[in-house]
Amino acid sequence: MSTSTAEMHNIFEKQSFWRSLSLFDWLWAVAVWLGAGYAWQQYSSHMDTYEAGILFAVAAAIVAWGWLWKPVRAYSIAVALLSLFAISLYANNLALGESNFFLKFLISSKSAIMWMSALYVLATAGYFIGLFSGSQFTNKTASAMTWSATVMGLVGLLVRWRESYLMNVDIGHIPVSNLYEVFILFSIITALLYLYYEAKNKTYNMGGFVLLVISSAVAFLLWYGFGARGASEIQPLVPALQSYWMKIHVPANFVGYGAFSLAAMLGVAYLIKDSMIKRGFNGPVFRRLPELDILDDVMYKAIALGFAFFTLATILGAMWAAEAWGGYWSWDPKETWALIVWLNYAAWLHLRLTRGWRGRPLAWWAVIGLFVTLFAFIGVNMFLSGLHSYGEL
Amino acid sequence: MSNDNNNDNFSPLSETGSQVERYRSTRREHGLGKVLLSFLGSMEVAISLFVVVGIASIIGTILQQNQAYNTYIIKFGPFWFELFRALELYDIYSSWWFVTLLGFLLISTSVCIYHYAPMMLREWRHFRLNVSEKSLRLMHSSGLWKTDQSQEQISRFVQQKLVNGGYSTRLKNEQGVLTIAAKKGAANRLGYLFTHGAIILICLSALYDGNFNLKLRELAGQLKPETRDLFASQVPTISRLKAGDNHAFRGSSSIPEGSTTDIVFLQMRNGFLVQELPFNLTLHDFRIEHYESGMPKSFESDIEIEDKKTGKKITKTIAVNHPLRYQDFAIYQASFDDGGSIMDLQAWSLENGSQKAIRFKQVVGQSKEIDTAQGKVKLELTEFKVSNVQPNPKAGETGHKFKNMGPTLTFRIRDSSGQAKEFINYILPTQQEGRSFFLSGVRSSNSEPFRYLFIPVDDQMSLKRFFDFRALLNNNREMQRIAGKTAELSLQGNKPVKPELVQQMSVVMLRLAQLFNQGGFDQVLADINKKVPENKREMVTESYFKVLQTILGTVYLEVLQHEGVDISNKITPVQEQYYDDLVNTMGVLANYDAPFYLQIKSFEHKQASGFQITRSPGKNLVYLGCIFLVIGIVLMFYVAHKRIWVRIKSAPDGLANEILVAGSGDRHQKEFAQEFQALSQLLDKEFSKQH
Ligand code: HEM
Repeated sequence: MSTSTAEMHNIFEKQSFWRSLSLFDWLWAVAVWLGAGYAWQQYSSHMDTYEAGILFAVAAAIVAWGWLWKPVRAYSIAVALLSLFAISLYANNLALGESNFFLKFLISSKSAIMWMSALYVLATAGYFIGLFSGSQFTNKTASAMTWSATVMGLVGLLVRWRESYLMNVDIGHIPVSNLYEVFILFSIITALLYLYYEAKNKTYNMGGFVLLVISSAVAFLLWYGFGARGASEIQPLVPALQSYWMKIHVPANFVGYGAFSLAAMLGVAYLIKDSMIKRGFNGPVFRRLPELDILDDVMYKAIALGFAFFTLATILGAMWAAEAWGGYWSWDPKETWALIVWLNYAAWLHLRLTRGWRGRPLAWWAVIGLFVTLFAFIGVNMFLSGLHSYGEL
Repeated sequence: MSNDNNNDNFSPLSETGSQVERYRSTRREHGLGKVLLSFLGSMEVAISLFVVVGIASIIGTILQQNQAYNTYIIKFGPFWFELFRALELYDIYSSWWFVTLLGFLLISTSVCIYHYAPMMLREWRHFRLNVSEKSLRLMHSSGLWKTDQSQEQISRFVQQKLVNGGYSTRLKNEQGVLTIAAKKGAANRLGYLFTHGAIILICLSALYDGNFNLKLRELAGQLKPETRDLFASQVPTISRLKAGDNHAFRGSSSIPEGSTTDIVFLQMRNGFLVQELPFNLTLHDFRIEHYESGMPKSFESDIEIEDKKTGKKITKTIAVNHPLRYQDFAIYQASFDDGGSIMDLQAWSLENGSQKAIRFKQVVGQSKEIDTAQGKVKLELTEFKVSNVQPNPKAGETGHKFKNMGPTLTFRIRDSSGQAKEFINYILPTQQEGRSFFLSGVRSSNSEPFRYLFIPVDDQMSLKRFFDFRALLNNNREMQRIAGKTAELSLQGNKPVKPELVQQMSVVMLRLAQLFNQGGFDQVLADINKKVPENKREMVTESYFKVLQTILGTVYLEVLQHEGVDISNKITPVQEQYYDDLVNTMGVLANYDAPFYLQIKSFEHKQASGFQITRSPGKNLVYLGCIFLVIGIVLMFYVAHKRIWVRIKSAPDGLANEILVAGSGDRHQKEFAQEFQALSQLLDKEFSKQH
C-alpha cells in the first residue's frame, strides 16, 4: 500500500489519462480493434446487428479494461495466441482434436480445461503452502499458476466455441449455455477478480481461500463434465436460448456470482483471523493473514461490484424474458432466486452503508450469502428443474 | 440549509451511516402519524421486509405454482390442501398477502426517500463553505502550511491544483479569512435518489402490468374464473373480458394451421378467463426444424392480424425470440402442439369371441366410445408425433448417432370405471434382427416406463396373418375340426388308432389351445400346476407343450393355406420364423391387457402453434426504472464523494499566511487518504509544512 498511484503520477498535477498511456498500450489497443475488425469481416454474415454491436462493445471494454488494469494486456495476448493456434491447427476438421499432438494434449477445449483444472488445484495448494511457510517464491509461483490456469480456461472456452461450429454450423454457439460451460466461466471470472485484488492489495495471502472455491468449482466441473454425467459434450441449443441476449446476460451474471463467492471466501478468512485474535494467537501464519480491515474492505468492494453486475444481469435477463417468453417477469424459480440473492445483498449493503456495520456479522452474512448464491446458481437447476422453464422449449 | 449551519457536528470519523443517522435524529418527529411515518421509513422495517419477501418467494419456488388443484389434493391430502389454498400458496405471487408485502416495501421506500431526499440533494449541491476551523482540524486528513505568499496567490495555486484533481471549488472571503470549499463526485448522493426512485418506478409499473385489477373485479363479483373444461364459445360472460376492458394481460392461445382466433386464455389459479382481442389472429403456416437428435432446432409461424376496427392487416413470421409487436400488444411464439391431426385407425380386437376389426377416423385430442366385450371404453387420442428420434444402438456401425423411428400415436383407453391405460403405438414397423414388428408400449401410470409388445409383420407387411391366426384360435367350431384332425394325424404312429384316444387327445388339444389363447403359456402352466401333482409336473409339462405346439402349428398351416400359400412342401425359413414370433407374441398378449390393438392406417398431419399474447403498457416504464437503477448503483459505488477545504488566514505573527487544508472521503477514506497525501506533497513543495 505504500506506493500509491498518487505517487506515480500525482492527480493534482495536470496530466491527462491519455498522456499516461504508453506506446505499448496503444499498440495493444490497435491490435484488439484489428482483431475485432477481422472477426467482423469474417463472420458478419452470421451476425445480426446486436451481435455486431456486442462484438465491438466487447473490444472497447477489453481496451478500457487493459488500460486500467495493465496485466490484462499480456493476458489477452496469451489467450488470443493460444486460441488462434488451436483454431488454425483444427483447420476445418474436428477429428484432428484426437490426433494432433498440440490439440490432443494441450489446447483442444477439453485438454485446455484439464490444464486449467490441474493448475487451479495446484495453485490452491501453492497459496496455502505460501501462507504457512511464508515463502514468497511459493506465493509467486501460485500466482503465476493462477494466471496460467485462467489463460487455459479462457482458451478452453474460446476453442470450444470454434469446436461447436466445426461439429455442425447449426449447432455452433457461444459456450455459456450449460452448467459445464458456465462453471468454467465462473472459475476464470472469480480468478480474475481475485488476481485484481491480489495485485491491488499486494498480498498473496488471500489466495488460498479464494482459490478454494475455484477448486471446488473445478471438482464439480470434473464430476459433472467428465464423470457420471458426461456433460462436457457440446449440445445444440434449444430455440429459446438462440439469442444474442445469452452473450451478455450469462457473463454478467457470472461476474456477480464470482464476486459474491470471492467475498464469501474473504469472509471466511476474516472470521478465522478474527477468532485467532480473540484467542490470542500471534504466530507467523496469523501475522501473514491479511489485515482485517483489508479483508473487510475487499469483501465490501467485491460485493459492491457483484451487486452492480448482478443487477445488470437480472435486468438483461428480464429483457430477454420479455423477448422470448412474453413477459419480463414470470416468477420462474430462476428469476425468483435471482431476486432473493439480490435482496440478500441489498440488505447487506444497507446495513454496511447506513448502519455502519463492519467485520464479523457482515463476514458471516457474506458466507451465508454464498449458499444463497450457490442455490440460485446450481440448486435451482438441480432441485427445481421440474419447474423452471429455461431451455424447456 | 440547516445542514450547512450544523456542520460543527461534522465529525472526522463520519461515514454516511452515522451522518444519515444524525440527520434523522435532528428530524425526530412527534405525533402518531409522524411516528408511523418514521417507523415505515426505518431501515429495520425495510430489511425485515426484504427478509419476508425473500422467504415468501422461496416458498413459491419450492411449492410448484399454478398446478391443477387435483395434483395438490393428491400431494397434500384434503386437509393441507385446503389450508394451503386458504393461504393462497398455489399462486403466491399474486396472492393478497404477497402483494400487500410488496406494497409495504413500496411505502417504506417512499417514506425513506421522503426522509432522505432533501439531505441527499443538499449534499449533492452544497459546498459547505461555513465549515468551522475546529472541525477541519479534527478531520482524519488535515495539514497546516505557512507561506509569505499573498492570499490571492495561495488561493490561485490551490484552486488550480484542486481543479486539476477533478474538484470543483467555491470561495468565500469573510473577515480576512479565505475559505475554499471543494468537492468532487457529489453525484454519488444522487445515486441514492436514482436507485430508490427506480425501485418505486419499477414496482408501480409492474403492478400496473400485473393482474391486480382482475383480482379487484373478482372481489367485487364482476368476474369469476371458469374452472370447467369448456369450449371458448361456451364460456359465460362472467368469465369473459371485452377487448377494451383490460389494460394489461398475459395469456396464451393455441391455433391450428389455417384457423383464426380473437381470444386468449388467461390462467387464474385453477381456472381461466377468456380475453377478447381487438384483432383477428390467423395462423397460415407453422414450420418446425429439428436437430439430428430430434430436438427442436427452431419453429416459426406465419401469422396475420387483422384489426377489427380499421380492417388493417399485418402479416409476419414470428419465431422464438422474435415476436410481433402491434400497438401495445405483443405476440410471441411460445410452443407447438397438435392441431387436430386426423388419424385413420383400425382397431383389431384382442378379445376372445368377436373378432371384427373396426375402422374409423378420429382427431387427435378427441375421444370416442368403443364397444367391447367388457362394455364401452373410451379411446382418447392424446398425442401424435411425426417423428421419433432415438439414440441409434448401432451408432458405431452406421456412423449415425440417432435414428428416426417414425411417427407415434399416444392414446389412452379408459374403461367404464374411469381407469385408464396409456399406450404408444409406432406407426411404421420396426426392424429387429432383420424381422419387422409393430411396436406398442403400454403402462398403467405416468411414472412407469412403457412395456412393449412386438407384433410380427407378415410377408405383405400387414397384421392380417397375426389376427387371422387369432381369429381361428377363437373360432370354436373350426378349432374342434382342427383338433380332431391334428389328434388323428399325431396318433397315426400308434396302430391301431383307437377312436377314444383320438377323442381324448383332441379334447386335450382344444383345451390347451384355449388356455393358450386366453392367457398364453402362463395360463397353460398355471393349469398344469393346479391339476397335476408335483412329482409328475415336469413330464406332463413337456408333453403338454409338445401337444400345444402341434395344434398351434396346424392352426398356423391352416392360416397359411387360407392365404393361398402352397404348404404341400416344407414352409420357408421366413414363414417358420414368423411362426415362432407369432407364438411368442401370442404367449405374452395377456400381459398387454387391452381390448384391441390400434393400427394407424394413415394420417393427415395438422399442427397448431402456441402463442403468448401480452399487453404490458408498463413495460417501458419498468425499463426506464431499470436504467435509473443501474445509473444509481454506478453513482453510489463508483463515484467517490470527496470534499476538501482550504482555510487561508494570516498567521498569528501577521507576517505570513497560514493554510489549513483538510478533507474527507466519505465512504472512501482509504483512497482519500492517498489523494490527500498527493496533495500534501505538492503543498510541501510550495509552502512550508507546519507541525
Ligand atoms: C426495495 C427496497 C429497497 C432497495 C431495493 C434498496 C436498494 C438500495 C441499494 C442497492 C443501495 C445501494 C447501496 C449503496 O451503495 O449505498 C441502497 C442504499 C441506501 N438505502 Fe436502500 N433500498 C431499498 C429500500 C430502502 C429503504 C426503505 C430505506 C430507508 C430506510 C433505504 C435507505 C437507504 C440508504 C440510506 C442508503 C444509503 C445511501 C447512501 O448513503 O449512499 N433503502 N439501497
